[in-house]
Amino acid sequence: MFDDDETLQMYIEESLDHLADIESDLLAIEESGESINLDLVNTVFRAAHSIKGGAGFMGLTTIKDLAHHLENVLGLIRNKSLTPDSNRINVLLEGFDTLETLIKNIKTSNDMDVSDHISALEAITNTSLPLDNPAGVTEFVDIVLTDGRVFPQVSAVDIQDPVSEGKNLFLVEYDLIQDIQEKGKNPLNILNTLEKTGTIIESRIDFDAVGTLSDGPVACRIPFQVVFASILEYDMTETLFDIEKRYIHAISEDMIVSAKGPDMDPLPGAMPSPKEPAPLLAAEDLSAPPPSSKTGSEVKLAKPPSSLRVNVGLLDTLMNLAGELVLSRNQLLQGISASNLKATELSSQRIDMITSELQEAIMRTRMQPISNILNKFTRVVRDLSHQLGKSINLVIEGKEVELDKKILESISDPLTHLVRNAVDHGIETPMEREQMGKNGTGKIILRAFHEAGQVNIVISDDGKGLDPNKIATAAIDKGLITAQQAAGLSDKQKIELIFMPGFSTAKQITDVSGRGVGMDVVTTNIESLGGIIDVTSIYGEGTDIQIKLPLTLAIIPSQITAVGNERYAVPQVNLNELLRIPAAQIKEKIETVGNADVVRLRGELLPLLDLSAILGIKKTYDSPENDEPLPDRRQRIADRRSRQHTITPEGMIRETAVEKKATQKRRATDRRYHAKSAINIAVVSAGTFKYGLIVDQLYDSEEIVVKPVGRHLKKCTAYAGATIMGDGKVALILDISNLAQMADLAAISTAGQMTRAAEQAAEASKDKAALLIFKNSETEYFAAPLNIVQRIERIQTTDIEQFGNRKVVQYRGKALPLYELSQVADFSPLPRKDQQEVIVFKIKGRELGLMITPPVDALEVTLDIDENTLKQSIISGSIIINGHITLLVDIFEMVKMLNPEWFKDEGKTDKNHQKAPEFDPVTAPVYP
Amino acid sequence: MAGTAMDSYFDGLEFSTFYVGGALCGINILNIQEINKHFEITQVPQAPDYIQGILNLRGRIVTIIDLGKKLGLAPVKQTKDNRNIIVSSEDEHIGLLVDAISDVVRAGNTDIEPVPSNIGGVNRKYFQGVLKTEKRLIGILDIDEVLKE
Repeated sequence: MFDDDETLQMYIEESLDHLADIESDLLAIEESGESINLDLVNTVFRAAHSIKGGAGFMGLTTIKDLAHHLENVLGLIRNKSLTPDSNRINVLLEGFDTLETLIKNIKTSNDMDVSDHISALEAITNTSLPLDNPAGVTEFVDIVLTDGRVFPQVSAVDIQDPVSEGKNLFLVEYDLIQDIQEKGKNPLNILNTLEKTGTIIESRIDFDAVGTLSDGPVACRIPFQVVFASILEYDMTETLFDIEKRYIHAISEDMIVSAKGPDMDPLPGAMPSPKEPAPLLAAEDLSAPPPSSKTGSEVKLAKPPSSLRVNVGLLDTLMNLAGELVLSRNQLLQGISASNLKATELSSQRIDMITSELQEAIMRTRMQPISNILNKFTRVVRDLSHQLGKSINLVIEGKEVELDKKILESISDPLTHLVRNAVDHGIETPMEREQMGKNGTGKIILRAFHEAGQVNIVISDDGKGLDPNKIATAAIDKGLITAQQAAGLSDKQKIELIFMPGFSTAKQITDVSGRGVGMDVVTTNIESLGGIIDVTSIYGEGTDIQIKLPLTLAIIPSQITAVGNERYAVPQVNLNELLRIPAAQIKEKIETVGNADVVRLRGELLPLLDLSAILGIKKTYDSPENDEPLPDRRQRIADRRSRQHTITPEGMIRETAVEKKATQKRRATDRRYHAKSAINIAVVSAGTFKYGLIVDQLYDSEEIVVKPVGRHLKKCTAYAGATIMGDGKVALILDISNLAQMADLAAISTAGQMTRAAEQAAEASKDKAALLIFKNSETEYFAAPLNIVQRIERIQTTDIEQFGNRKVVQYRGKALPLYELSQVADFSPLPRKDQQEVIVFKIKGRELGLMITPPVDALEVTLDIDENTLKQSIISGSIIINGHITLLVDIFEMVKMLNPEWFKDEGKTDKNHQKAPEFDPVTAPVYP
Repeated sequence: MAGTAMDSYFDGLEFSTFYVGGALCGINILNIQEINKHFEITQVPQAPDYIQGILNLRGRIVTIIDLGKKLGLAPVKQTKDNRNIIVSSEDEHIGLLVDAISDVVRAGNTDIEPVPSNIGGVNRKYFQGVLKTEKRLIGILDIDEVLKE
C-alpha cells in the first residue's frame, strides 16, 4: 500500500467528493429509466473511474476491484445495453455505499470482503452481455511489451472500447522520483491531467522494479505505469506526458494477449516478465517478494484529522482582518506606551470591531450547507418507501441554508429519525390514502430556512396525523398522566405528550398512534444543541415537526443572572421573559400548590424553581439596616400570607383560608417590603417544560463563549458548560431542561395543571360574568352573554313581515331576521302583543333578532351553572338568578340550528365549539 | 538511606513537595504544568465535595480539587501560602489546591519504598510509595488515581 500520507489523504478527500453527489445522481438515473440522461451517467462513470484510477496507483486493491465492477455496470448503462431499473440501481447504490466505507477506512480497506457486491455486479453485467462473450467484462488480458515485459491483468473491455473508437493505446512509465517528485508534481495531478486528454485504463506502481536495499546498486527508478488511451498520435505524446520517449510505449493489437486464466488476484506478482534484463530497469530484481497487500494491515496510522472546505473569498477576508488586527494592536501598543488615552480608546474601539468581524468570519468557515445532510434523505425515503410499499414524494427546500459543522453532524441522526417516522408512520399506504380521498402518493417536505437568527427545519408530511385522544389514552395507559390530568389538556398539549420521556416504546406506539418512536430522544438531542422542537398535527391531514437551531454552538447569547456571589448564564434560546415581583406584591402573585410555588402570569400558573434551592446554595439576604448579607431563614418563596392550595388525598385542590391574624401586627418596616426583597424571575422554557427560575439578581444579556468543563464535573448535569466573564471570572451556564428534571418539575407542573383544571371547572362558580336576563313567556327566564348583544329594540308587531315561517323586520335599511325560542326548542310561544322587544345579536358579522318578553336586565352574576338538569341543544345550562331558574341560551348553537349555512366554511371552528359546551362568555369563540 | 544527591548530572526522579492536611506529599515534577496562586475560584454547586471550584487559567477552564478533602485528610485551610498545582491529565488541566509548597526533592528510582500499611488515616490507593529524607517521609502521589472521578 502507498504510504505517503499526504497523497493518500488527498485521494480520500477527492474520492469522497466524487462520491458525495453520486447518490442523488443514481436516483435521478433511476427515475429517468429508459430515457437515459447521458451526462448524469457519465458523471457517475467518471467518479467511479477516478476512484479506480487512484486506487490502482495507491495499491488499494479492494477499492480498485469494487470501483472497477461498478464502472463496468455504469459503462453498460452508458452505451444503453442495460436499463437502469430499480434493482440494478439498488446494487449500484449499495456498491457505492461500500466503496465509501472502504475509502473512509482506507487503512483496512484491503482486508475487507466485498465479494458480495462484486458478484452482484457481475451478475448484472453478465446477463446483459452478448452471448458469444459471456465473461466479457471480467476477462483480463496481458500487455506484452516489445522488450518482453508483461503488464498483466488489464480488463479486456476497457482496452477494446477505446480501440474500437479508433484511439491509440500507450503504456507510459513515469518515474515517481524523477518525473514526479523532482518536477514538483504529484501522481494524482498527473492522472487528472491525463484524464483531460484521454482515458486512463490502468495505473499501478511497479513495486517489484524498485528492488530492495540488499540488491546492490540502489534502484534509481520507481516506475509508475499508466495504460492510457488517447486520440493523440505516438509522436505527440512526449510533450503531453512530459517524459522521455523511451518510457512511452505504443501498444499495438498484437501486444495484447489474453491473460492466463481468470486470475483475480489483484497483484499477481506484478510484471512476471522474462528474465532478460530490461534495459531500463537496472536494479530489477524479480526474486524480491511481491508486495503483498499485507503491508496495509501492518501500518496502522492514527485517524487523519478531518478537513473542511472553505471558500477562498472567506479566507481572504480572514487574512484582511488579521492584518487589520495587527495594525490596531500596534496602534494600541503605541498609544499605551505614549500614555495617549485618546489613541488607546480609538484603537480599542477598532479592535472591538475587528474582533466581532473576525469572530463572524471564523464562524462562517465552520458553516456548511444543510444539503450535506438533507440530500441523503432522498435515499432514505426511497429505500424505506420501497420496503413499506408506499409511494412518497420527497421535496427538499432550502438546501443552501448553512449551519455550524458540529450542529450539522449532530442533527443528522434526529432528522433521520423524524423522516423515518414520517415515512413509516405518517404517510399511509396508497390504498388507505385513496380511500381517504387523498392523492395516492404521499408528500414529505423537508424545509430549511433562516428566521430570527436561528435555523428552522420543518418536516411536514400529509399523512394520517396524530390523534390527540389516542395519544392521551396511551399516556394514561403508561401511567405518565392520570385521566383527570388528560381531561384538562388541550389537543396541542396532548400531542406534545409524545415528547415525554417514557412515552414511546416503539411497538405499542405504532399500534396506538402511529408516531412518536423515540421522540424524547430526538428532543433531548435537539435540546442539547440549544434547539427547540415543536409539533403541530391535524388528525387525518398531516404532521409538521418544527426544529429551531442556533447557528453555532460556540458563542451563544445569554442572560446573566446571579445567586449569592456567583453568576450563572441562562441561554437566551431558553429565555422567554424576565419577571420582577415587587416585595409588596409577593403575597398576591405567588401561591403554593401542594409543596410547590407557582406564580400567576397572565392567567397561567407558572411553576417556580428557586435556583439556590435546586443547586443547594445557601441563600442570603442583604440586611436592610447595614447591607450585610445574612443567612435567609425563609423556607418558602410564597409569603405565608399568599393564597394556599392544598392537595387533598382524593387529588382535589382546595384553597385554604388565607392566614390573616398576624399580618396587621407587622411593623411598617417589614423587611419583605424592602426593595431588595423583590423576587427576580427568569421565565424559561425547554421542550415541554416552562417555568420561572428564581434568582437573586438579573444582569445584562451578553454573548458568551462556551467552554467545556472538566471531567470531574461531567456528572453535574445542571450545567451546560462554563464561560469566562469580562472580569476574568468563570460563570456556569445553566442547562434549563436538566434543572427542570432535577427539581422534578414534571410533578410541579402537574400540580399546577391540576390546580388550573380545578380552577377552570370551578371558574363558573367563582367568576363573574355579565348576562342579559330576559323572559320568553311570563314564567320562563333566560339569560344570554352580554358581550354578543348589539342592542335591544322595541318594534311594532305590525312592522314584522312574514315569509312562510320566516319573520323579518326592516331595520336600519336592512332586513333583520327575527326568531323566537319556541322555533328551536320546546318552549312556549311568545304571547301576542302590539309591541315586541327584540334583542339584536351580532354573529359572524350578521345581525339577527331574538324576540323576547321584558323585563330585560343586564346583570353581573356569579356563574354557578348546572350543566345537567335542564340542558338541551340550545341551552348550555341553568343558573339561579333572583330566585328564578334561568336558562342560559347558547346563541351560537341556536343560530347554527336556524342558519346552518352561516357556519358552512367554518367546519373546524364549529367542531371546536361543539366540543366546548361550557358557558364561558370571556373565551367564547369570536367569529370574524 | 538514600539522600538527595546533588550531582550536577542527575538521572533520577524529581518531586515537587507540598503540605496538605499536615502531611508532606510529592508529585513527580514532570506531571506539573505550573504552580500558581489564582484564587478567583467560581464555586460549582452540586459538584463532588472535593471540588473546590473552577478557575479561568488563560482562557481555559480548570477544575480545582481540594487535595486535602480528596485524600481524606483535613480540608485545605485558607492561608496566604495556599497554591494551585496545575497538572495535565487526559488533555485537560486540573488544579490541586494545597496548603503550602515545599522543596523540590531528588531521588533515585530505587529510593521509593512501598507504602507502609500504617500510613495514617489516608487511603493507600492514592500513593505510589513513600520517599524517606533525612527529616521526613514524603508520600508520593499516584496522580492518575488522585484525578479519577
